[in-house]
Amino acid sequence: MDEYKFVGKSSVRVDGKVKISGAAQFIDDLDFGPNLLYAEVVESKFAHAIINSIDISEAEKIPGVVKIVTGKDFPFRFGLYMHDRYIFAQDRVRFVGEQVAAVIARDAVTAKAAAKLVKVDYTELTPVLSVQQALGDSPFLIHPDLKDYHHVPWFFPQTNSNVAHLRKVRNGNVEEAFADSDFVLDDVYTVPRYAHCALEVHGAVGLLDHSGRLTVWTASQSPHTQRHLFAEALAPLGFQHKDVRVITPFIGGGFGGKAGVSMEILGAALATKVKGNPVKILWSRAQEFYNTYQRQGVVARLKVGVKNDGTITALEHTLYWDAGAYVEYGANVVNAAGLSATGPYRIPNIKIDSYCVYTNLPPGGPYRGFGYSEFLFGLESHINELAKKIKMDPVEFRKKNAIREGDRLTYGSKMNPNGLIEAIDKVANEIEWGKKETSSDPNKVIGKGFSLFWKAPAMPPNASSSAFLKFNEDASLNILVSGMEIGQGYLTVLAQIAAEVLSVPVEKIRVETPDTDRNPYEWQTVASHVTWGCGNAVKQAAEDAREQIFDLIERANGKKREELYLEDECVRSKVEKDFSLPLKDFIISGIQKEDGTFRGGPIIGRGMFMPEFASALSDPETSQGGHPNVHYTVGAAAVKIEIDKQTGKVKIPKVVLAVDCGKAINPDLVNGQITGGILQGIATVLYEDMRFDNKGKLINANFSDYKIPTAMDIPDEVVPIIIEVAQPDGPYGARGMGEHTMIPAAPIIANAVEDALGIRIKSMPITAEKIALAVKKKRED
Amino acid sequence: MKKEISFLLNGERRTIEVSPSEILLEVLRDRLGLNSPKCGCDRGDCGTCSVMINRKTVRSCLILAIEVEDQEVVTLEGIMQNGLTPLQESFLKHNSFQCGFCAPGVILSTTELLAKNPHPDKEEIQEAIAGNLCRCTGYSPIIDAVIDLVK
Amino acid sequence: MAIENQFEYIKVKNLDEVFGLFSRFKNPVILAGGTDVVEFLKTGTLQPNVVIDIKGLDFLKDIRLGNNILWIGAGVTFSELIASEIIKEHFPVIAEMSKTVASVGIRNRATMVGNICSAVPCTDSGPVLSVYKANVITASQMGERKIPIEQWFVASRKTALFKNEIVKGISIQLPEKKQAGCFVKLKRYNGEDLAQVNLAILAFEDYSFRISFGAVAPTPVRAMRIERLINRMKIVPELMEKAKQLVEDDIIPITDIRATKEYRLHMAKVMLERGLNAALDRLNGGGPAYGTSVI
Repeated sequence: MDEYKFVGKSSVRVDGKVKISGAAQFIDDLDFGPNLLYAEVVESKFAHAIINSIDISEAEKIPGVVKIVTGKDFPFRFGLYMHDRYIFAQDRVRFVGEQVAAVIARDAVTAKAAAKLVKVDYTELTPVLSVQQALGDSPFLIHPDLKDYHHVPWFFPQTNSNVAHLRKVRNGNVEEAFADSDFVLDDVYTVPRYAHCALEVHGAVGLLDHSGRLTVWTASQSPHTQRHLFAEALAPLGFQHKDVRVITPFIGGGFGGKAGVSMEILGAALATKVKGNPVKILWSRAQEFYNTYQRQGVVARLKVGVKNDGTITALEHTLYWDAGAYVEYGANVVNAAGLSATGPYRIPNIKIDSYCVYTNLPPGGPYRGFGYSEFLFGLESHINELAKKIKMDPVEFRKKNAIREGDRLTYGSKMNPNGLIEAIDKVANEIEWGKKETSSDPNKVIGKGFSLFWKAPAMPPNASSSAFLKFNEDASLNILVSGMEIGQGYLTVLAQIAAEVLSVPVEKIRVETPDTDRNPYEWQTVASHVTWGCGNAVKQAAEDAREQIFDLIERANGKKREELYLEDECVRSKVEKDFSLPLKDFIISGIQKEDGTFRGGPIIGRGMFMPEFASALSDPETSQGGHPNVHYTVGAAAVKIEIDKQTGKVKIPKVVLAVDCGKAINPDLVNGQITGGILQGIATVLYEDMRFDNKGKLINANFSDYKIPTAMDIPDEVVPIIIEVAQPDGPYGARGMGEHTMIPAAPIIANAVEDALGIRIKSMPITAEKIALAVKKKRED
Repeated sequence: MKKEISFLLNGERRTIEVSPSEILLEVLRDRLGLNSPKCGCDRGDCGTCSVMINRKTVRSCLILAIEVEDQEVVTLEGIMQNGLTPLQESFLKHNSFQCGFCAPGVILSTTELLAKNPHPDKEEIQEAIAGNLCRCTGYSPIIDAVIDLVK
Repeated sequence: MAIENQFEYIKVKNLDEVFGLFSRFKNPVILAGGTDVVEFLKTGTLQPNVVIDIKGLDFLKDIRLGNNILWIGAGVTFSELIASEIIKEHFPVIAEMSKTVASVGIRNRATMVGNICSAVPCTDSGPVLSVYKANVITASQMGERKIPIEQWFVASRKTALFKNEIVKGISIQLPEKKQAGCFVKLKRYNGEDLAQVNLAILAFEDYSFRISFGAVAPTPVRAMRIERLINRMKIVPELMEKAKQLVEDDIIPITDIRATKEYRLHMAKVMLERGLNAALDRLNGGGPAYGTSVI
């Protein structure tokens, strides 16, 4: 039975044609005319050093150089959740590649050549390149002024240390519970850093015109947040928010990396130095690797107690995050993970310590999964080992302890409605869990791995969305929002929601990428929350428009509003079968009365959504009492792999992922996230491998040596399963799922490897090399 | 050292003056206004810069502009001068692309494949687009659209 | 990234023009496919004062089999090798190797001669040409030279090519005895990758073998000890084990960003065994189709 006309359909994307025809414009495609200047940064070659002096005299002489800028020009701190970051390094550099100066020139080649001539004199300091070093005895303080940094009230920097934030969660009594358990398993799991590798690099163009108006075009997921951070950071130069405008064209992938503010602030800052000229800064692929957010590394210690009947009694989870040189965004990853580091399980006794540790490596930040991909590797590997120890089937074990609606979350609030059990059953069924399979090739073994997953949007409690909706004369309409289309299909989903309310087909709806001057506020397109948050705002805007339409018909035509409905772009009446007034007849022009006067005018809808129940305030020692997460999206995943015991190579005949998205507004797009996300996750566990040398330099900052999947690396079969247990406060019951599809990838592979070979590998990546040598070692032992 | 060269670009004879050190990708984008080939890595690793020279897909970031004198260069803009091709229609219908950055390169690689092999199987399609990195889709929606087209 | 260094560009119409340019310019660079050269121009690794484009020399585009000698011109791309009926029928290991090089878009430009001129330790062409006992034909003002492949690779990124010489092409004597072979390439995954280890094998109807490893020494190495051990022998399991042991003597792998020494050594043995089995199966009319990876 078709409940909806537009929602729930796999409509063709509204941005499909523009992308397939190559007409879609990305930041590097925009034309800024012959006056465009080009900027190139001067980068630190040390991971940790004091800047003694910067000599720009030689560089300045090069013809075509317009201006050279250093940290002295912008002594301002900025950041999203914490102000610990600088536009250019001030007195010291904190990671290899950090920008210390920039050359602005008439062309890119000149900028690059001149940048090479800027001489920086450093005094090298000992680089702190690991969490152990950062937390060791009398470590070098990477941020000696930590106590002076502004930060959100729910961060707890540990002054006089390299711990920028510590999230502690306490409930019950883990020591007693361990003593009471039949079995306790204690182990350590290591996950390194990863790179987003969106195909489009970061870029920004800034223009401060002579009227004092600063416009910045950026490849960003977050135009309004960028505008806010630019305005905040440059306020000492006299800017007000209204003077700053951010325009974001289509972006070639984000995955979190284009959220917040990293290199884009250079576009804004440099523009202020060359008033009247647009200035462009575009990262190279290498800079994309080492000077944008990276996914943080984590070393996690898990101690979990169980009873023989399979009940989990207690969890102690200590996470040490290698968060990098600046943690203004990354500290929230640490925070979010800490609050949810139990996984989707009911566990009465909890002790979680999530440490955000400064290191002299590139800044960590948001990456699809936001800490959950990072910790789930250890947690779900551990869950499997526990099941083995008490000789219980790993899926049964998970099902027994799975969190249910109404259960207590780590911080005290209640778990939302969810289809976790349904997801487990469907995935287990699809992967034929319990059926042991053998390969016809004597060199190969088959294994299966299972994992649950969950994630909540990690946002400030007042993250909000807003929308305007305006009709055109032909009853087509424009939706104005500031969420970003990063490939996930968000523009299409909004169009479908509006279509459902207003009966205007999706093909007659335009949703464009935003301009902060014209489009109303959206916090950021992150956290898998815009379908929910902005979807609600758009639904509200559409309903607002509908109300105005019914109001007008009531006033002008004397119909009762309760009798009216919209269908096929017309206003119709439930009681008068013949009444059918096309929207296009009045939606702009209004309705003409007999006396020639008109009623109405252009219909404009307005909507806004901000959760009013979320709160980040809680007991700093226990995290109890708050409601930091709006809701969780849950799911389950499983994989069947075939391992060649000699080569260690892993083939994937089948992977299954079920996610409860509440309501799939567009099933094709949900499936697209599943297929894309699971491959991105699989890559992190099988072959993505970031390598730093012992001086903190990233040595594989290119696709030749940091391998991301090609079309030849896909699983033979990906089975996406959509679960729909409605999210009560979501538009048509929808909740987000874009990040979630990556989260279970690492543990399902690790568990499948263990199932196939009896070898538990506790560090990522689990490469063919690691497997082959582990098998060899096991055979020799 | 600048030289005037003449070549066919999307079916039209073009004449421009180039210096030997100019890269084809930059000339196409910055001087000839064609934005479909992109710069994803500048090393020939990602395939977003793909164009066709004499009907073969190549990496325009690894070609000097001056090399295309008297050659036939085709970009995505040229493929669809008469509207979307059946291949593009299939991609559209299948919602194959997400961010769209890899799309021009993928479309050219697939166009080259179908010209020499009108009925490729799944493996052949995978091989044809193996040099076009895509971070968003997981590739199957792209492959499914081609299989649907040729069946 | 535009190229900082300025240079002249000449698309030559004949070889004499090339030699003329060699004497006029101090720092000439030959440009064929350009997939290596243009990258080096961009990074500044190469800073020539003239780039000599040889793509206009039609005779360098030939793939010819005549008088039992295969000729592959310097301008022949990997795509052309894959499409060639002559290669498919008579030198299938060349096609098998070519399919593993990068991806279609690169193969449409990159040449096999360019690959052996860059002479990186992980060259895919090197081991294959080694087992086919190819000769590299060079030309200069002074005439032509015929350089056996085992003398071509001198060290990592160094060849026997003289400064004022150009490679015209590669010639391979069609093996007299019936043979089959196998090219095995270890990569970090199925996608485009440089070899962590590669291996070319030819098995002849008299059960003699030629085996050449790549990426495990500065240049491709013929596994002479292994060949001596197994030539004209039936490779029973014990002999295979001994052959695998000898791998340790014939190669000197290192640890680098792509693999550890330990894994390379381990895999070289696995590849030898599977490669030999595939080559022998193919010799006897069976085995996996050329182009199927055995690892």
